[in-house]
Amino acid sequence: MGVRHIAGQAAGWPCLLACLVASAALLPGVPSAAEGQDEADAGAPTSAQVSAAAAAAANGAGHAMRPRPSARARAPFDITGYWVSLVTQNWRYRMIVPGHGDYAGIPINAKAKRFADAWRAAADIAAGRQCEAYGAPALMQDPERLHILWQDDETLRVDTDEGMQTRLLRFRPAASDAPADGRTDGPTDGPTDGPTASSLQGDSQARWALSAVANSLNRAPEPNARLYGSLVVITGHLMPGLLRKNGIPYGVGARMTEYWKLHALGAAQWLLISTKMTDPEYLAAPYVYDSIFQKQADGSGWDPSPCSLTS
Amino acid sequence: MRAAACALAALMTLAALVYADAARAQFDLSGNWVGESSEDPLEHTAGGYPDMFAGIPVNENGRQAGLTAPGDVMQELNRQCEPWPAHYLLIGPWGGRFAALRDAAGQVIAWTLSSPAYDRLPMTIWMDGRSPPPALSLHTYAGYSVGRWEGDTLVISTSLLKDGYLLDNGMPSSNRETDTFFLTRYGDEMTIMLVVNDPVYLEAPFVSARTMKLVGGLSDVNDPILYCMPAETIEGFTDGYHSAIQLPPKEAAQRTYLQGIYRLPPVATDGGARTMYPQFAKQLVGYKPPDCKLYCAQNRRVPEDAISR
Repeated sequence: MGVRHIAGQAAGWPCLLACLVASAALLPGVPSAAEGQDEADAGAPTSAQVSAAAAAAANGAGHAMRPRPSARARAPFDITGYWVSLVTQNWRYRMIVPGHGDYAGIPINAKAKRFADAWRAAADIAAGRQCEAYGAPALMQDPERLHILWQDDETLRVDTDEGMQTRLLRFRPAASDAPADGRTDGPTDGPTDGPTASSLQGDSQARWALSAVANSLNRAPEPNARLYGSLVVITGHLMPGLLRKNGIPYGVGARMTEYWKLHALGAAQWLLISTKMTDPEYLAAPYVYDSIFQKQADGSGWDPSPCSLTS
Repeated sequence: MRAAACALAALMTLAALVYADAARAQFDLSGNWVGESSEDPLEHTAGGYPDMFAGIPVNENGRQAGLTAPGDVMQELNRQCEPWPAHYLLIGPWGGRFAALRDAAGQVIAWTLSSPAYDRLPMTIWMDGRSPPPALSLHTYAGYSVGRWEGDTLVISTSLLKDGYLLDNGMPSSNRETDTFFLTRYGDEMTIMLVVNDPVYLEAPFVSARTMKLVGGLSDVNDPILYCMPAETIEGFTDGYHSAIQLPPKEAAQRTYLQGIYRLPPVATDGGARTMYPQFAKQLVGYKPPDCKLYCAQNRRVPEDAISR
């Protein structure tokens, strides 16, 4: 009752307008009236954004919005450091090179089967194409270590020791931090069709999917309230490559959506990367798989190894 | 004074929005979920190979128990319909239906997870902040589960489980096993990561993950509900009412069973924590499996005969 009295009578319409301005600034996907052109602040609020929005509301306008923090500053968890694969699933397909004709688990179509049946490692080795099995769609399944670091404030760099590959996950300044809604891609998500050259690791567009602000027991965020969320990565512009080292192919139209999520239990930390890959050329259905990495204290196990199609 | 009141109102509005946003992170699990990811297609359906523990952090107790488990134990009349412990949510082929139990105020006090098959019992995940009963309380196959939200992730802790199998190749699980499930929803998909701790049979946590997909009505969930009717099993005879798992006889020579198909050395099939890590692959350099002749394209989406045309 007290709140309604203050908001509706003592403060009056200007105050209500200020509340609406502040509210709009916080609603995901709804640019505020004051900063309309800046999609950056449309995502889930950080403590800093909340403070700025409150200050703006108190001033009766929204002109005091601060520049959006960098992707690095908005990170809901610290993903940097060294990680090691836990190969507890698909062991026979990941720890060893599967036998010729072993396609179980991947929804390939008839064209892919014909390709793989005819494929021979020796020919590709002779042609110097050993790294074709280390493209982004296959890379996170390899038994390997990751070294993840911020290359700059808007780019995560993921190095692997196996195959010595590097993935760059680029955050776009205008990308929303709205919760993941299950879209695989869309007009504002992921690499756009254009002249960008294809590459082994493709073009990976990243965004944070922040879906909670603080301890729900609190009625308001604390100054250093913890953020929760996931990293969503959409990758395209891939060169053709191999999903398995026994010749299962993917084509130039392949795209993948990954959800990177940190889980912890006691002192242990795991990075779960859930991938959904589509390929109109070689897959009859989306290929969905989960890769698990365990946090390492340091890089002591780091063992750079060149690409190989035979191990 | 007017400005202060206005600022206070704005702050309270913001607080309400923030609170609502936090609540939104606690997603709705309701609905039917089916497995979507493709890992271990054979193990998730027909069953794994009898002596294949590679990638499982099994300790010596677990290895010996697994290797000596009688392959036909599940054919015994009193065990044909025996359910699996709770970890079967990720190990087995089934998804399930989540539904909310709410109090008079509409708050979720528990989630229930049912299964379309007889071999996983319904689970109740208590969300009301209660603690599990003491360790000497009744142990069941479903166990006792309590849940809590960590932002956008539901963390489920399950204990008080019965002895059972971690895998259907004889790899055991004990009644001291505890499971931790991490559920995160992304639209119509949900990732589930499972951490199994078993001080009796594992030397390190066994971690696995699976992506599930939300589907429509009950009719979309893995076809008809599968019941089990125990029946005497006669070698070579199928009565059409049950599908007890048929494992080859357990003998010492079985240690070479997988070698016969994939030529995997015992150092790999014996499992253990070391077989989970990349450096173990270095021990297998030079190993070359034979061409695939069996289960080469098993996948629920694309049957083997579909791609051979």
